[in-house]
Amino acid sequence: MAGVRLEGLTKLFASTRAVDAIDLAVPDGEFVVLVGPSGCGKTTTLNMIAGLETPTAGDIFIGDARVTDWEPRDRNLGMVFQSLALFPHLSVFDNIAFPLRIKKVPEAEVRARVQAVAATTRIAPLLAKRPATLSGGEAQRVALARTIIVKPAVFLMDEPLSSLDAKLRVEMRTELKRLHAQLSATFIYVTHDQAEAMTMADRIVVMHQGKIQQVGPPLQIYGDPTNRFVAGFFGVPAMNFLDGEVVVEGSDLRFRAVGLRPRLAVPRTATRGPATLGVRPEHVRLGDGPDASPATVSLIEPMGDETLVFLDYGGPVSLVAKVDAEDTVTVGDRRPFTLRADRLTFFDETGGRLR
Amino acid sequence: MTRRTWLGLARHAPLLVWTAITLAPIYWMVMTSFKHSGEWVTWPPRWVPHEPTLINYVKVLTPGTSTFELGRQTLKILKPLWDSLFIATTASLVAVVLGSALAYSWTRFGTGGRRYPYNILSIRMVPPIVIAVPFVVYYVTLRLLDTYTGLILVYLATSLPYVIWMMLAFIEEVPVELEHAARVMGASRFRVLGRIVLPLTAAGLVVTFLFVFILNWSELLLAMTLTNTEVSTIPITLNKFQSANEGRDYGPQAAIGTIATLPVIVLGFLIQKHLVRGFSFGLLRK
Repeated sequence: MAGVRLEGLTKLFASTRAVDAIDLAVPDGEFVVLVGPSGCGKTTTLNMIAGLETPTAGDIFIGDARVTDWEPRDRNLGMVFQSLALFPHLSVFDNIAFPLRIKKVPEAEVRARVQAVAATTRIAPLLAKRPATLSGGEAQRVALARTIIVKPAVFLMDEPLSSLDAKLRVEMRTELKRLHAQLSATFIYVTHDQAEAMTMADRIVVMHQGKIQQVGPPLQIYGDPTNRFVAGFFGVPAMNFLDGEVVVEGSDLRFRAVGLRPRLAVPRTATRGPATLGVRPEHVRLGDGPDASPATVSLIEPMGDETLVFLDYGGPVSLVAKVDAEDTVTVGDRRPFTLRADRLTFFDETGGRLR
Repeated sequence: MTRRTWLGLARHAPLLVWTAITLAPIYWMVMTSFKHSGEWVTWPPRWVPHEPTLINYVKVLTPGTSTFELGRQTLKILKPLWDSLFIATTASLVAVVLGSALAYSWTRFGTGGRRYPYNILSIRMVPPIVIAVPFVVYYVTLRLLDTYTGLILVYLATSLPYVIWMMLAFIEEVPVELEHAARVMGASRFRVLGRIVLPLTAAGLVVTFLFVFILNWSELLLAMTLTNTEVSTIPITLNKFQSANEGRDYGPQAAIGTIATLPVIVLGFLIQKHLVRGFSFGLLRK
C-alpha cells in the first residue's frame, strides 16, 4: 500500500504544455479523482504515473520510491483503461492469469488465485469465454479482476465507465467504491464526468489546460470553488453567471448588474471594476420581496423531482432557477426572484474568486 | 426453379463466365503439360488429353543441364526450381521480419518522421529497369553478380516497401492500449511484442509474406540482368523458351509453367482463410 506524490510534473508535446508543473500528494488509501474537460492533461498525468509517458520535468513518487525513470512493470500498479484493453486472443482465464504468468508464478497457484478473484468479482462462469463474447459489464469486471489479482499498491483508472450505458455506470460506480473500501488501496481515477467525480472521490483534483485548478473534498469543490472555471464545471445545470461591476456606494463597494434590482454586498477583496456574480440554480428563489428583481418565465424543464425555470430578467442570458416540482409555474408568468445572500460567489475579471 | 434461384444464377453467371475466361489459359497450360507432343496443337483442340503422360515432367525434372535432342532443346528445371525457392523464400522472410520491425517502429514511435511510409513507397515507384544497369555496375565491383546474395539483396530492397505498407495496416489494428496494459502488468517490451502484437498480427504477417513471395518468385527483369550461369530462376528458364531453336517445346514448357505456379497455389490454399482479411489492407476499420 502506498501513497503517490507528484512534484513539479510537466509534460510538453512539441510546444504544448499538456501538463504544467503539477504538485499533488495523494495519501495512501485515498480515492482521488482527476477531473476536467478533454485535453486538460488528466490522462497524460495518469500515463506518466503509470510510466507509459516520460515526464519532461518533475518527479513521481510511489510510496517513498522515486519512480520517475522506472519502467511501468516495476511500479507495482494496476491499471484499467477506457477501452478495457482485454486481450482478444486469450480467454478470460488467460487474461486474468496474464500478469501472474509474466512473473512466472507456478501454474497451480495461478489457477487458485484466478478462481479466487473470479469469485470475488462474480465472473466465475465466464472464465472459458473470449472477451469478444462478453457484455459491457462483464468485460468491465474481467478488467478489474485482472488488476486486482496482482494486489497492486496503487490503482489507476482512465475513464473506465465511459463505455457503459447509464444504468450500468451507476451500478459499477458503487462496485468500485465497494472495492476501494475492501482493498484499502490508493485509487487514482480519471474522468471528464463531474457527477462521477462528485459521487466517488474522497478528494477531487480539478484540472484545466494542464494546471490544477483546485483540490478538495467534493462538497468543498462544489460549494467553495476557487475560480470561475471550477464553479462552472460542477453542478447540473451549471451555475448562473451574471456579468456586472463593482461600484462605490457611499462608503461601501457594491455589485450591480443589468436586471438585478438590489445592489449586492461584495466580499472583502473586491475592488472597483468589472466582476461576475455566480449563483447556483438551487439558490435562486422565486418569490416577491423588497429585494426581488422582476422577471418573466421563458422556459420550463420539468425533471420530475424538480423543475428548471428559465427567467428573463433583463440580463443578456436567462437565469436558471431550480424549483420544487410542486410549485406550478407556467411560461409567461411574472415571477420576481431573490438570490440567497449567503450563497453568492463573486469572481474578478480574470475568473479568480473574490472572498 | 424459383425466382430466387434464377436471380442467384443471373448474379453468378457473369462471374462464372469471367472466372472461366481468366482460368482458361492456366487450365490449358496444365492440360498441355500432361499431353505428349502429338496432342499439343491438334485441331479441334483437346480439352482433356486423350493419352495423358508424365513424359514432360520427367524431361524437365531429371537432374542435369539442358539437353539437345532431335533438334529440340529441353531445359531442366531442378536447379532453377531450387534457386527460385531459395531466393524468393529468403528474400521474403528477411523482408517480412525487417519490414515489420520498421512498420512497428514507425507506428508506435514515429521513427523516420511522419512521411516515412510515403518516402519508402516512392522508392518502389522507380521502374526496375532504371536501376538494373547501375546495379550491374555495383555488383561487379562488389562481386555480387550472379550470386544468391546479390539477387536476395535486390529483392529485399524491392519488397520492403510493400511489407512496410501492409504491416502498417495490420499493426495499427492492434490497439496500443493492449500494449500499455501488458506493460503495466509486468511485460517487457519484447514480451509485449511476442505475447500480444505477434499473435494479433500473425495473419497479417502470413499474408504479407505470401504477397511478397509471389512478387519475388515471378520477378524476371532483375533476375535476368543480375545473373548469368551460377544462378538461374524459374522465370528466366521459362523465358529461355522464347529463343528455342526450332519449333516450340510446348509440353515441357507447360510442365515448367505448372511447376512454377504450383507453390503459389499451394501456399494460397493454406492461408486462404486469411487472404480476404489481409487484402483489405486495413481499410475495414471497426
